[in-house]
Parts: sequence; C-alpha cells; structure tokens
Amino acid sequence: MSPDTFGGASQRSVENLASRLRRRQVVGSRATALETLLVLRQVVSKARFSNMEQLVEIIRSVGRRLVEAQPKEHSVGNTVRKVLHHIREEYYTATGTNAATAPQTFSIAKFVLLGQPRKHTVAPKLAEGKATLKENDPDDPDSFARGLKPVLMEAIQDVLDELETVYDNVSKNAKDHIHSDEIILTLGMSKTVEAFLKSAAHHRKYTVIVAETAPTYGGREMAQSLSSAGISTFLVPDSSMFAIMSRVNKVILGAHAIFANGGMFATSGSLLAATAAQAHRTPVVVCAGQFKLTPLWNLYHEYGALDFGDPNAVLGFEEGDLVDKVEVVNPYYDYIRPKLIDGFITNDGDHPPSSIYRLIKETYDDEDNEL
Amino acid sequence: MAPKSSSPGKEKLIEDEEEVLQAVILADSFNKRFRPLTTRKPRCLLPICNAPLLDWTFESLALAGVQEIFVVCRSHAEQVKAAIKESKWSKPGSGIKIVPILTAKETFSPGDAMRDIYTRGLVTSDFVLVMGDLVSNIRIDEVVRVHKERRKTNKDAIMTMVVKESGARHRTKARGDSSVFVLDSETSECLYYEAVTGYPKTTIAHVPREILAAHPEIEIRNDLIDCSIDVCSVEVPSLFQDNFDYLDIRKDFVHGVLTSDLLMKNIHCYVAKEGYAARVKDTKSYESVSKDILSRWTFPLVPDDNHPGGHAYDHERGNKYIAKDQSVVLARTCTVGNNTLIGSSTHIGENAQILGSVVGQNCRIGTGTIIRNSYIFDGTVIGSECTIERSILGANVTVKDGSEVPKGCLLGEDVVIGPSAKLKPFQRLSKKRDQSDETAPEEEEDEDSDLEAVESAQDTMPKTLGADSNALVWPTAPGEDTDEDEISNFKNERFMRLGDDASDLDDTDEGSESSVSESDSEEESDSDVEPSALAAPLDSSFQLNLPDGLPRAQSEFQTEVKQSIERAFAEGHSVANAALELKTLRMASNVPIKSVREAVIAEIVEKIQVVEGGGVAQRREIASVIGRWGSLIEAIGGMDAVETISSLQIHCASSTRLPLFGQILAALYQDDIVEEDDIREWHKLPASRGEGLDKENEVENLKKCWSIGAHMIKQFDEQDSESEENDSGDGNAKGDTGDEESDEEESEEGESAEEESEEESEGEANQVDDKEKTTEDRDEHRQKKEDLAATEALEEEEEEEEEEDSSSEGDEDESEEEEPTKEAAHAIGPAAQGHEKTVKGEVTAPVAASKAEGSSADEEDEDDEDDEEDGEDEEDSDEEDSDEEESSEEVPAANVIPPANLMVEKDTIVKESM
Repeated sequence: MSPDTFGGASQRSVENLASRLRRRQVVGSRATALETLLVLRQVVSKARFSNMEQLVEIIRSVGRRLVEAQPKEHSVGNTVRKVLHHIREEYYTATGTNAATAPQTFSIAKFVLLGQPRKHTVAPKLAEGKATLKENDPDDPDSFARGLKPVLMEAIQDVLDELETVYDNVSKNAKDHIHSDEIILTLGMSKTVEAFLKSAAHHRKYTVIVAETAPTYGGREMAQSLSSAGISTFLVPDSSMFAIMSRVNKVILGAHAIFANGGMFATSGSLLAATAAQAHRTPVVVCAGQFKLTPLWNLYHEYGALDFGDPNAVLGFEEGDLVDKVEVVNPYYDYIRPKLIDGFITNDGDHPPSSIYRLIKETYDDEDNEL
Repeated sequence: MAPKSSSPGKEKLIEDEEEVLQAVILADSFNKRFRPLTTRKPRCLLPICNAPLLDWTFESLALAGVQEIFVVCRSHAEQVKAAIKESKWSKPGSGIKIVPILTAKETFSPGDAMRDIYTRGLVTSDFVLVMGDLVSNIRIDEVVRVHKERRKTNKDAIMTMVVKESGARHRTKARGDSSVFVLDSETSECLYYEAVTGYPKTTIAHVPREILAAHPEIEIRNDLIDCSIDVCSVEVPSLFQDNFDYLDIRKDFVHGVLTSDLLMKNIHCYVAKEGYAARVKDTKSYESVSKDILSRWTFPLVPDDNHPGGHAYDHERGNKYIAKDQSVVLARTCTVGNNTLIGSSTHIGENAQILGSVVGQNCRIGTGTIIRNSYIFDGTVIGSECTIERSILGANVTVKDGSEVPKGCLLGEDVVIGPSAKLKPFQRLSKKRDQSDETAPEEEEDEDSDLEAVESAQDTMPKTLGADSNALVWPTAPGEDTDEDEISNFKNERFMRLGDDASDLDDTDEGSESSVSESDSEEESDSDVEPSALAAPLDSSFQLNLPDGLPRAQSEFQTEVKQSIERAFAEGHSVANAALELKTLRMASNVPIKSVREAVIAEIVEKIQVVEGGGVAQRREIASVIGRWGSLIEAIGGMDAVETISSLQIHCASSTRLPLFGQILAALYQDDIVEEDDIREWHKLPASRGEGLDKENEVENLKKCWSIGAHMIKQFDEQDSESEENDSGDGNAKGDTGDEESDEEESEEGESAEEESEEESEGEANQVDDKEKTTEDRDEHRQKKEDLAATEALEEEEEEEEEEDSSSEGDEDESEEEEPTKEAAHAIGPAAQGHEKTVKGEVTAPVAASKAEGSSADEEDEDDEDDEEDGEDEEDSDEEDSDEEESSEEVPAANVIPPANLMVEKDTIVKESM
C-alpha cells in the first residue's frame, strides 16, 4: 500500500479505523462492517486510478490493512470482498464485457465455471458502442475513474443499504419459523435474534427462555429487551440449559461468523446449547446477516481464532492469590460444527449448512478469498 | 521530532482545539533497580514481551484517546528520542503527536521533572501524568471525564489518581512499595495518604482525627495498586514549582497537599474496577507484568492482538505465543510450556524446555537447555545443557554450554558467560568494557562512574563465570560502610527483586501479614467493629497495624543531632552557625523542638569531662564548656529555661554526670541561661521530683538533683534577704516567665519556706561562706553567682550526707506537699484536656489504650508537636503542661468523649493487609 495511490485523508481514516479495530474500540460484526464500508466509500471517492486493476488493488490493500489489524472481526474482510464483487459487477455492466459470467442462477455447471479465474481486463478494451469508459487513456488518465465513479458509489451504497436493512430482512419471515405456544431458547445478546424474535411476536404468542450467557451476561440484556417488548421471557442460568432443553421447541442462535463449511463462531455458550439441543433432537436455527458469511472454513484449527479476552470477567483481578496459580481462559466465541446446526436464516433466504458454500460463492468473487 | 509526524498532529490540533487531551510521560525511572540492564539503555526502552515499555505506555494512552504526548526523558535521552522517531507513532495517521522533551541531567526526581514541565509551559489544560513504564488498558478518558466533571463544581480538585483494586496479596502489587489510602466512600476523595514499606515493616498508619470527624464514612485501604496514572490540572506543575522540596509525586506531593492547611486543595482517587494497570518499576513487577500480559489481563494489549511492537503472534492453547511469520524453528522434541512468548527467527534446539518465559527475536537456544520463568531479550545465544531460572538476560547475551543461571540474576547487554559458568542467585553481571569502549559518549558520565566503581571493586574474574566470560560482577548487597538508611532501603528493595520472596525478612513480622489473626489491640485498631474501641480514642491518631516507622525517624534524628553537635564541638563552629544547623535539621526531620533541646543539652553535658577528684578543676571544666556552648541552648530558640533545667535533670539522672548536676546548673545560672526564678519554677514542678516515673533508679537520681536545686534556692533566698538590691536585678527575669506560673507560685510559696527552714541546719557551713563573700561584693549580681558556684563545689563534697537527709526529707515533703501538688494538677487538668481536644485533634484507635500508653508516649509526643508546628501561639504555653502531664499522669479515658460523628460506619470496609 503506497500512500500516493489514495489521498492522505483516506490514508488517515484507514489507519484510524485500523487502530480502533486493534484496540477493540469498534466491536460487533455489524458495526465493523459499517465502519469498513464508510472507509471504503471515502477511499473509492478519493482514489485516482486509470484502470480496473488499479482500483481493485487499492481496495484490496485497504482491506488487507484492516484485516491484518483485526483478523478476528471477519465481517471486515467480508465487506471488502462484497464491495469488490459489486464493483466488478458494475464495471461489467458499464463496459458490457463478459457480463454474462456474473452468476444469475444456481447450477453445478455454473459453479464449475465460476471457479475459473476470469480473464476480463487483460487487453485494453476497444470502445464499445456507447462506452465512454476508456481504461488507461494516455491523454486523460482520470477519464476512466471519472466515468466509473458514480456507479461505484452506487454499488457501495447498495451494500450499505443492505447492511442497514439487514435486521428487517432477516426477520421478515420470522412468523414462518416460530409457531404459537412454542418455547424458544436463545442466549447472548444478538441484535439479529432480538429483531427476529420481536418481529415474530407481532404474529405469534410464544415463550422465550434466555440463558444468562456468562461471563458477558448478554442474556440478561436480551431478556430485559424481549420482556419489555411483551414477550413472555425466562432468564435461566447457563448450567440449566440441558435440563430445560427437553421442553424447548427450537433453539435460535446468533452468529459471529459463518464459514464455508456451514459451521460458525457464536458467542461462548452456544456450543453448550447446540450440543444439548442435539441430544434432545431440538432444531437449532441461526439468524444472521449475509455479511457474516466468511469464505474460510478451517479456522477451528486455530486456537487463537476464538478470540480470548480478558480473564477479568471470569476471575476478578483482586483475587491475588488465585491469579498467580490459576490459568484462566475467557474465549469470546465457540466454534459450532455444521452438524449441530439445522438451518441459517439470512437476509438472503433460508439455507441449510450444507449450502453455505454456494451462498459464499455467489456473494464473493473467488479471487478475493485471499485479500 | 520528525516533521513528518508533527504535521498531522498539528492538523489534528487545529481541527478540535478545545478538546486536545495531553499526556506527560516521565520516561525516567529515577532509580537504579534494573541495573545493569539499564547501564546503556533507558528503562523505558527495555522490552517487555518483546516490545519496549515506552510503546506499551503509548498504546495505553492511545487507548484513552490522548492526542498529544510529552515524553520527559533524562538518561539516554537521545536513544529515547530516536526510538520515538522510528516507532509507528511518528507515522502519519497515528493520530498522536509525540514530543520528546530532553530535560537536564540535574533532574533527579519526578518533582524536578514536574518543575521542568512548569518552566517550559508545556501543558495548557488538564493532562494525564504517567510514568514511562506503564502497561494499562484502563479507560483513562473516562477518568478524565470524571475529573473534569468534578472540576466544574470544585475548583480545588486538582488531581485524580487512578488506583486498581487488587487483593491483599497480589503478584502485581509490590510489597515493598505500597500505600495506604484513606478515601471518602461517597466522593472518593483521597483524604490521607501514607506510603508503606516492606522493610522496615510499616505496621501503623496514622490517620488524623479530623478526617474521621469530618467524614461519616471512610475507607482505609491497602489493597490498591497505585498505577501512577494521575489526571492533573494545570495547577499541579505550578504547585511543584512553589514547593521546591517536593521530590516524589506520592510521598511528597500527595502527602504534602493532603496534610497542608494552607493549600486547601483536594486530590481524588479513581478506583478502577475494570481494566488493568500496572507499572514496571522493578524487576519483580517486570515479571508480574509480563505474566499478566501473557495471561491476557491486559487485553486488548496482548501479543496476538494489539502488540505495541507491531509483531504478530499466534496464540496457542495454554497462552503460548509464537511469532506468526513462520520463522521460528522449534525442534521436534522441544517443549514450549504455558505462558510463553517466542519471538521471530528464534531457534529452539532438541529437548530444550521453555517454560513460562519470554524469548526475544533472533535467539538461539541450544539442545537440552531448560529456561524457566526467565526473560530473554533479542539476539541472545544460549548453549546446550544450560539451566536458566527466573532471570533476565539482556540483549545479545551469550551463555555457553553447561552454564547455570539461578534465580534473580540480571545479565546486562553483550555479556558472555561460560562454558560451565555457575552463577550465584541474584548475581548481576555487565560486560566489562574493553579499551575501545573507553571512548564512550561524554553524556553517560554519571552512569559510567558507577560502572567504574564496580570495575575497580572487582580485581579478578571469579572462576564461576567460566573461561570465556567478559562479565563484571556487581555487588549484591550494600557494603559494610554504608549507613543504616541504605541497608534498610536495600532490604526494602529486596521485595522488588525478581525471584526474591524475601521470606527471611518476613519471619519477624508474620503477624501483620494477615489482618485476621491479630491480637485484640490490632483488631480494634484496624476496624471499627468495637464500640468500646471508639469510646476511648484518647491517643492522637487512628492506628493501623502497619510497619513501625516513627521511632526510627526519631532515633535517626537523634543521631543526626548528635553528629552535628559533635562536629560543631570538634570544629569549633560559632554558636550561631551551630544553632542554624540544628534548626534546619529540625525542619528537615519535622521533629518537635523539645527533642532538639534534649539532644543539645545531653550533648553539652556529655561534653563536660569528669575530672578526677573534682573540685576546682572540675568547676573550671564546666565553666569553660558552658561558657562556650551554653548559649547554644538559648540560640536554638523556642526555649523555656524551666524546661532546660528539667531536661538537664532528666539527662543527668540517667548519666554518669549525675554528680555534676549542681555545678552545671550553677554554671548555667552564671551564664544567664537560667535565672533564679526558673530554678524555683522548676523546683516546684512535680515531675522534677521524679513523680510519675516508674524506674526507681531514675527517680532516686531525679530526687537527688531536685534536692540540689533546693539548696540553691535556699541560698538565693538567703542572699535576697541579705541584699535587697540584688532582688531588683532578678526582677527582670521574673517578667520573662509565664503568667500561669505565678498562680502556682502562690501555692508553692509555703512549700519553699518550709524547705528553707528544714535545710537551714545543713546549709550552715555554706551560708557562712556565702555571707562572707556577699558582704564583700554586695552590689554585684555576678559575684553572687560565683559564690553559688563555690557553694556547689562544697555541696558536692557533702553529697553523701545530703543524700541520706534528702531521702528522709523527701518522705516528709511528699506528705506535706500532697495538697499543693494536687492543686497544681488540677490547674493543669482542664488546660491539658482542652489541649488534647483542640491541638491534637487526632484519634488513635486505642492500641490497648492504657497498656500501651507508656510505649506509645513517644509517638504521641511527636504528633502533638507536629500539630503545634502549624499551630497557634497559645500552644507554646500549653506545651509544657501537656508534656508534663504525659510523663506524670494519664487523663482517664472516659474524660474525652469522642464526637458523635466520629463513629465510623460499621460496614465501612477496612481492607487491611500487608
């Protein structure tokens, strides 16, 4: 990333976000996705480029910087990938090249095709028809950027809109998933799940059991919020999850990141719930926005990927004698195997874990998997 | 400062001018606990978990949103400057403007640095003051917000100290260097601060009584880690400027501001419930902070997340951190234990074990080597089959095969030891400089002088260091010629030493370790559970069972006075100079003037040689000493002649100079240091007869002195009756003495008359002498004094008989004098009580009130006197009363009823520990 490819102000905003990500001053997948998007918008609007590769390289370099700063917030990378995907689409429509390669429908044949690297910008395209876009114009290097920028901004705006409406879209089918007099178990404080349950409550009368979700105790907040929305809510300690499970009709979980294999990272305690649910053959449903889809699958090999936090929440620092003798780990997330999950409810429809990889292929371009 | 970095900073400044949060980092330790690691590198650049301490500090501040940082550096300032320039903080987009400030070499304390900050006018608004060795993830911006909020309503709230709760014992809380905070539970105002040392063990904290009276609920806490994060107002540096003797920010500044009656400033505490903050102030805390970082207490400041050095580490099960860039070579059979950090490009050999340690970058660890709880800086090479335990190895150290480095060793940069070196525990090694190194930069002079001293001390290379060693062994303990102060300091420092559990220092005072297993008195004193304890807060202060520091200060002062007077005697200083010296000494040690007087008198008396055979030679000796130095007693000021005599008497009673008492007194009289009235006055005091003292031996001696005084008075009376004109001369002296004495005199009048009659018979011979002489030179007052001297000489010879007489006399006297004494006591009583209430104004949680009275008397005295220092004039007259009273009798506990609001809430948590 060389500073001259984009302006000093953009550079600073990238660095600013990077350090805030590192310092955990921006947390939560949606918040980080939004921040990333805003930075990308600024970068693109200020960027100077004369062909597509340059633009893609600029965006990728920003993405690399941000992901490097905080590899555990997967939505940062996902957002960058998504933006790249959209920009390419806009570019193809604008230039009219190979637009057909953009996937429209699902078919095995198409996926095979998709898996191959694209050859789109190899040779400078001749001006086609109405094409005002001319890459690498020696007379006016900025003409390409000038012509493309409005559509690019539009593309980013699309992603932004999608992010902003994600909760509504996830929960629009809520009433189809929750039936009257059902008992739902959830845990942690997930905005998506909260919106989903509240939306269902407009149509159905049902009961929610919320586990406290130590050590963050996000469950307490969740229970309060649901209860104030008029849903009959119970707050139970995490330890009673298994005992209660026999009465539960459905487990609804939030996610931190969803992987290509259909597994996911979710707030710690989720694995307990999912395992208990499997023992009782209770369905486990995950509510998540599309920006959580992550084109990775082997993260569970990495111990550190669970993001271990401050032991303070588990064992107080003032327990001087113990601090010296006890090793405390406080992971933020649990990895949940795809087998434990029955379905994902996203803003892009409902999917079984086994088809997540297809969703990912559709959402991102393969070449961006490694930023 | 690089121009590159300052420009974005400036832009930032312009953008939001009103809300720039400034911070000042004191990037110098002002001590030498890390030597020899710090001989060539400032402490703030020592790596902890492979990133310089200063970077951790910057990161901690950046977390808090600080935008402008001033780094005050003293030693190795150029290195610090260069490090800042090269760090990521100078890159655009860091959002922080860092300005290194090079302060003078003469800056020896944080106080000096603060004065420097003031003179340079660096800070313009409230700022954060931290030390250059801070590791923290506390939201300091929150503290700043609270501080500013408070400032809106209370302009006198000048500082907010951030403290972190820890348990009674905590690896991160230094035992040698903790403190007692007295906080108002509601406002978290810090009401009182006292530093606690591990050795000599502090067992008592004195909390002034006013604090208990003024605040219904307080917390007395010893479980707080002082993070040295202070949010200061702009006044703070100027206060340092005004009080040039403030050195330490805590011990001097905080203590000074809180105890000052003049400043009227408040200091608050912010007890951080969440977050982590600690300072690397010694090798022990280096270890504990390293461990805290590795076990992620400092999250998000952890190696795999936000490593200040910008390194990337993989976090593996058991808090192992291995550099991410695939450059680390771990042999298949090596063991990497929990809580270990391994830097990039490091090679670990077969069968090596790295347990709970930090290994820097580019290190080589040989086969079969065991490294346990050690900290190894970059570029170090360790051979095979070595053992390294709880030590710190500086950069580029070479440890050759088969060496043993036991616990607590510090190896400076570039040291080579081995092969087969066997170090002793706590050994400190640095590289011996070869000739080429002699051209070291001039600025390191003071550092080098130390090094040279060490160098010269070591004549031969100890064999244990191995054949190829280039090391220089630093002394581990202070030499024999160092004074006691340094030794105790060293022992206290041992609490801060890596690997040193200082258990031998513990043995003596295991009791105060836990607040539970304490005797009654201590239980009463450290909490407020017992109402009966509150009913009798007679003593001057609320005492916690913390280390005993006070008597030491006292005795320290005594020896100081002794030395200074001896010097004055030996070098023949002028009286004025000697007095000046004593005055400054008194100011410096903050002791009551009474102690000075006692010490001076004692010294003068001891100065007098006992001449064999006595007589004229003896008298001459006394006269010469008193003539030369007697006026010193007056010159130290604040003196009452009566007390002078009392002190003299008390000293003589316990000294071999007892027989000289009469002669010395006479000599003093002759030199106008004491007047006739003073002697009478003294003579009337009950204490002069040794009442109220337990030691029989001394009482006897006191009585002897007293009877000698009686003799003199008799002579005065006789002379007075003979020569009227001499009386008029004495009249002047009478005027000097206090008013209250006159009413006492009335009661004593009869007494002295009786004495006269009794003593007439024995004094016969003397009187004859007197009469003869006085008739010769009646008009001369001086002459009278000479006579007295002569009389004393005679008296001395008669002493034997006199003693017998006086003892029988004494019995009679006692029965006769009971009445007047009681009266006197009565007269003193109310005054003394008032004195207790108003002047002392301090509560002592009864340290087994009556039992400990005698032992705590010293402390009480001190407290009294301390208060009087600030106090009003009237106390001077009260002073003798109270002193007298303390020695003679105790006011019954019930007499002083504590104010109602003194009752400390029962549920006030008194967290106490040591």
